Amino acid sequence: MPLEPSPAQPVEDSASALVDDRRRAALEIYEAEPLPSWRRSGFWTTTLRGLDLDALEPKRYGPGLPELDLGDDERAALIVQRGASVVHTDLQDERIVVMPLEQAVVEHEQLVREHFAKRLPHDEGKFSAGTAAFWTGGVFIHVPKGVRLEKPIQVVWLIDEPGTAQWAHTLAIVGELAECRIREFFLGSDFEGQALHSGAFELYAHPGAQVDLAHYQDWGRGEVYDLSTRRVEIRRDARVKWVPIHLGGRLTRQTLDIITAEPGSDMKHTGLYFTEREEHLDLFTSDRHEAGHTTGDTVWKGALTGESRASYEGLIHIIPKASEVDTYLQTHSMLLSPKAKGDAIPSLIVEVDNVKASHGGTVGELDPDQIFYMMTRGVSRAEAVRVMVEGYFEEVVQRLEDPGLEELVRRRVAEKLHGAEDQVREFIGERAEAT
Amino acid sequence: MKLEIQNLHVRTGEREILHGVDLVVNKGEMHALMGPNGSGKSTLANTLMGNPNYEVTAGRIVLNGEDITEADPDERARAGLFMAFQYPATIPGVSVANFLRMAMNAGREEPIKVKEFGALLGKNMELLKIDRAFTSRYLNEGFSGGEKKRAEILQLAMLQPDFAVLDETDSGLDIDALRIVSDGVNAMRSAERGFLIITHYTRILNYVKPDFVHILIDGRIVQEGGAELADELEEKGYEWVREEVAAGAA
Repeated sequence: MPLEPSPAQPVEDSASALVDDRRRAALEIYEAEPLPSWRRSGFWTTTLRGLDLDALEPKRYGPGLPELDLGDDERAALIVQRGASVVHTDLQDERIVVMPLEQAVVEHEQLVREHFAKRLPHDEGKFSAGTAAFWTGGVFIHVPKGVRLEKPIQVVWLIDEPGTAQWAHTLAIVGELAECRIREFFLGSDFEGQALHSGAFELYAHPGAQVDLAHYQDWGRGEVYDLSTRRVEIRRDARVKWVPIHLGGRLTRQTLDIITAEPGSDMKHTGLYFTEREEHLDLFTSDRHEAGHTTGDTVWKGALTGESRASYEGLIHIIPKASEVDTYLQTHSMLLSPKAKGDAIPSLIVEVDNVKASHGGTVGELDPDQIFYMMTRGVSRAEAVRVMVEGYFEEVVQRLEDPGLEELVRRRVAEKLHGAEDQVREFIGERAEAT
Repeated sequence: MKLEIQNLHVRTGEREILHGVDLVVNKGEMHALMGPNGSGKSTLANTLMGNPNYEVTAGRIVLNGEDITEADPDERARAGLFMAFQYPATIPGVSVANFLRMAMNAGREEPIKVKEFGALLGKNMELLKIDRAFTSRYLNEGFSGGEKKRAEILQLAMLQPDFAVLDETDSGLDIDALRIVSDGVNAMRSAERGFLIITHYTRILNYVKPDFVHILIDGRIVQEGGAELADELEEKGYEWVREEVAAGAA
């Protein structure tokens, strides 16, 4: 996997030249590559056969703040990209920089030159090339050395019209010993028709930085295809807590990589997904240790209803020189409907001795004995199911350590469960009869 | 007010376990249902509560005059029936306190006031010698056998049902825990409440004196009497009952 940093660019290249060269090189790849499909373990395939790519276009919008529910009104900054345009930027804390990436390429030359695409090669497939070639607007975040933020930085990617192609790029730089919370939201209205979000995200946590990062995806009932790559690099003694939350999208194919790059770096990665209807979710995450004395902790939990499909594959990769690593990965998937299908695949590549790495994965169902038990206490079946699923997710939700966002997640999960009540009842009934 | 079990036949899978059980528990009464392993005791308890793994093929269960044979477990609970489980389920992510509040509110129009709930919980925890920290743990997760049984009796004390079925609540308890649990049950005894204690052993009956004892063997109640029947059973064992039954049939 081409995750190594690219060689440093010659200094004379300006940031704009760097971005433009990358666009040109990526465009060639994008045009040459066919529509991809992803295969896993022989029977799992993610294809884009249903996507009419030619019918989509990057829609432009003028400034304006759409109505949003972000769980938290207190913020250090808010930036909103709707379709292909940044439509709102609100900076409340002058110590930091939050602006469109297009603007930062000009105004923060050196930072962009040093970080842009360092961990995001443009040749990792058609859509990463497409994103490299076509991104517009974009988000740039810089929390300088030593700055500690109390309030979160909020980023919103909004698609509210069918026919939209959103090519996204976020570059976040958190300086030495800086501390911050970053939340990216991916929101759609319940439109009819197709749309694409093809995204790139990169975050660099400099030595000693503390970053609390969350991605909240809820594309709604529209047919949104989300093909994204997100990478986080953690340097010496820095720590990143990353919570990706997937609550909706017609088809999602994402690669999420965390790289503990230098000794003392630590990551905690906690994911949650809930799929319904005909949604298809294909997630690949990696916990990559490039240095010794690094630590990691990955927990993913999902629940599936309807005829949805969800596949999670989580890799722990410890490269040869990285000894004294301590990491683990757990993944669980809960089926709530007879027609849903899920898998949970933990895997391990360890190229060195003297490390601690463990992993485990389960796919399960609601336990009818637990439901029966709760009902004998007067709790209705629907309520019992809700409580069980919420309890199942609670471990993950609490790791958010963000009351506003926690509440948002709990509420959305409850709404989705309410919508799936009949299926769940049928499923539990079937299970009870089968035993 | 009474709990009536009328000619109850119950099947699980392809096998009939109960072959016509009749039993009436009036409020204010303490009944013990005793039987060896495999006699159908737990089947009866689970059927009373509406466990979907058990199918009633004939007979009825009537609670306070209302036929609840086909009712869902939550409806039975709200109608005033309670069971303390032999093997209670673990409810991850839900604390003991939250679970209790949810269960109490399930049977009420208006949710219980926080203060009232706190006071009631405090009182009952004292009764069962349960530590305060216990209530913030997830229900039954990592609980010892004794803690699980105490948590069941705590629920009984909080929910104040009309009729309580205790399924092998004494099994797996050491003598101190048994005494605490028995004290809890005795404190719950009232003219307004009926009990059905299901047990293999007579041990718990040394602490909780039954008014009536029924012996269940092979899915039928074969002998009934007062507290003295339990003593006799303690002395002579289930084989004696089987012989008596065989002699009676001959």
